[in-house]
Amino acid sequence: MRLEIDWTRCDGHGLCARLLPERIGLDDAGFPVLGDRTVDTDDLAHARRAVSACPRLALRLEQAPSPATR
Amino acid sequence: MTTSPNTALGTARVLAGTSRGRLDLHAHRDAHGMPPRRDAAQLVRDARAVRLLGRGGAAFPVATKLASLPVGSRSRVLVNGSEGEPASHKDRTLMRLAPHLVLDGALAVARALETRRVTVAVGDPASYRSLHDALLERPDGQAVRLVRHREGFVGGEIRAVARAVSGGPASPPGRRVLPTVHGVDGKPTFASNVETFAQLAVLLELGVDAYASVGDADEPGTTLLTLLGDLAHPGVVEVPTGLPLASVVGEQAGPLLVGGYHGTWLPSAGDLVLSRPALRAAGAPLNAGVLARLPHDTCALGEVAAVARWLADQSAGQCGPCVFGLPSLADSVERLCRGEDVRADVSRRVGLLPGRGACAHPDGSAAFVRSALTAMPAELDTHLRHGTCGRPVLGALPVGRAA
Repeated sequence: MRLEIDWTRCDGHGLCARLLPERIGLDDAGFPVLGDRTVDTDDLAHARRAVSACPRLALRLEQAPSPATR
Repeated sequence: MTTSPNTALGTARVLAGTSRGRLDLHAHRDAHGMPPRRDAAQLVRDARAVRLLGRGGAAFPVATKLASLPVGSRSRVLVNGSEGEPASHKDRTLMRLAPHLVLDGALAVARALETRRVTVAVGDPASYRSLHDALLERPDGQAVRLVRHREGFVGGEIRAVARAVSGGPASPPGRRVLPTVHGVDGKPTFASNVETFAQLAVLLELGVDAYASVGDADEPGTTLLTLLGDLAHPGVVEVPTGLPLASVVGEQAGPLLVGGYHGTWLPSAGDLVLSRPALRAAGAPLNAGVLARLPHDTCALGEVAAVARWLADQSAGQCGPCVFGLPSLADSVERLCRGEDVRADVSRRVGLLPGRGACAHPDGSAAFVRSALTAMPAELDTHLRHGTCGRPVLGALPVGRAA
């Protein structure tokens, strides 16, 4: 699985960074900075918790790497 | 209205016959004839044989895109003529001078896909008039929907255009949807740049072998370029691919911009070859084909700062890292111009942009600024020491709405 952010939804609440500090930091304006996006089975429960905590439903867990956008 | 001068180095193909001005339907048929009919499988085969790449910026293989579309009336064809980058003039040159070639390409794709739904989205008013008149001249013109689309740089991104012509906002979607799956009206859409369709029309006209008789083996045929600034042939040129970059932009040292405002500054043309695959491999993708060399009497760093500010203003305002990151980056570049050593700050801000938006605007803007500072060490040094280079910013890189 892979962590994805819908940047058009993210408002920089920052809960993801608090729940997954080993993967997600925050920039000056409070928006998430993702480190390693791939999530293996060990971390899945943690990642799911962060995803479900996002008040804007901007953080998602997706299957395979996303295809090219254009 | 000023039209940029246009020339062809070598054989003109998409610009064939345009030296005397716009080709009406009669003149167009004299120059290009009637395109032969091809079904989808044949068109895919032809596009694959000549390794045709999209001409909007992403350089995606046309055959792959076409092959992923279902044949039938559900599918749509979208011609992106928004050309929201003020440095680029090649699409409006094509639409103003050879509108029927673009339409031939679009209608050939539609026939191959067995659909009648073709939308052409156009920003430039003169191009709109040219296409409008062209559609009245053609017997098959009523199949095409012509739409005004003047929504800036990010609003011209293909997914933003697909949304806008479907009645939505002119901004890229937050989820990574592909137009081939979810395009115009939410239907599978073959969407590409104006020049891609003109090249497809030329491919049908010439056939694979003749099309590939010029140009680089990696990307045969010709390409349109917009040349800007201190160059021998400023304006729009059609060149065979595979030329040494230096033959088009000159051999002198001095910062050279490849790929426009989402592009890459290089210290010189070196021994690079002009083709999309070669330039991408060299880390300087051609994007929409803008090449610029700054004149010696303008402040190079100031030009970069002006474009950085323009890029910040072009943000669609959807994504936080872009909304906050690009203006801060533009501030920092302006401070560099005034001699404040904020290089570390610029590096940090540049590093925070890639991959953090719904579209590639943050990534492209970061590449533009990062490469500028690498390719202009002398200019940067002068500014850091004296707070100025003594030259005014002449606006060699246009940032207004282009004519």
